[in-house]
Amino acid sequence: MSDVKDLLGLELEPYSMAVEKGKIKELAIAIGDDNPIYYSLEAAKEAGYDGIPVPPTFLQVIEYHGGYGFQEKMEVLKLNPVKILHGDQEYEFLGDIYAGDELHVTSKIIRADTKIGSSGGLDFVTEESRYTNQKGELVAIARITLIHRH
Amino acid sequence: MYYEDLQVGAIFPVMKKDPITRVQLVRFAGASGDFNPLHTVEEVGEQAGTGIIAHGMLIMGMVSHGVTSWIPRKNIKRIQVRFSKLTYPGESIEIVGRVIEKKADNLVVAEVLAKNGEGDVKASGIFEANLPSRN
Repeated sequence: MSDVKDLLGLELEPYSMAVEKGKIKELAIAIGDDNPIYYSLEAAKEAGYDGIPVPPTFLQVIEYHGGYGFQEKMEVLKLNPVKILHGDQEYEFLGDIYAGDELHVTSKIIRADTKIGSSGGLDFVTEESRYTNQKGELVAIARITLIHRH
Repeated sequence: MYYEDLQVGAIFPVMKKDPITRVQLVRFAGASGDFNPLHTVEEVGEQAGTGIIAHGMLIMGMVSHGVTSWIPRKNIKRIQVRFSKLTYPGESIEIVGRVIEKKADNLVVAEVLAKNGEGDVKASGIFEANLPSRN
């Protein structure tokens, strides 16, 4: 691939995606998380939520279903999918996210560098995504760090 | 759960997850939209030299399940995880956590680990929760 440093500052195509309650339930089942707040509006309201909330890792669903898929993303970043590892993942929650919300997502590469270690070179690429709801409130920030083995 | 209830060093109850199955990885691929074939296709796993491995985000989902079993979802303000070892179908993940700091503004900081039955750490991280005061 070309120099990974060229990715720094790259802005990805923005997109929007609805938070669907069916997708919330589907993710909770896949994880094996039986918390009733993800399955029932009544249970969520009883627990003090205004709607069905999203599990902390739900923003991945928005990313992959609303934005680039995994293979597409690898093409855009010019990374070899077979040599990619998920190094680090962070979510910051600044506001509530409920089923029925519409999220607008903007993403940018905030780190792109190479470290040479004993087992060869590793590229580190961090993408920051900012999630704004239909009221224009910034509700979450995600940072994913991918490790690309040479 | 109140800010005063948690002290530095407090250990949360261990959350034991069921063994990861291949069907679960297929289900997780569909739910998350992460169709990296390394998680579902035997030949791709062989080509990569690892065999089929679990999605890192499935492990982080389990970490989050543990965290939100300790502290309500609405109080979680930040969660960050570093993936340190690959996880394979058949492994059973346990989530353990411990309070490491109490900050101003009712913020509690805790560490969280995902381990298999042998104690290998698959993911380690930090979470921050904002908890109400009793008074």
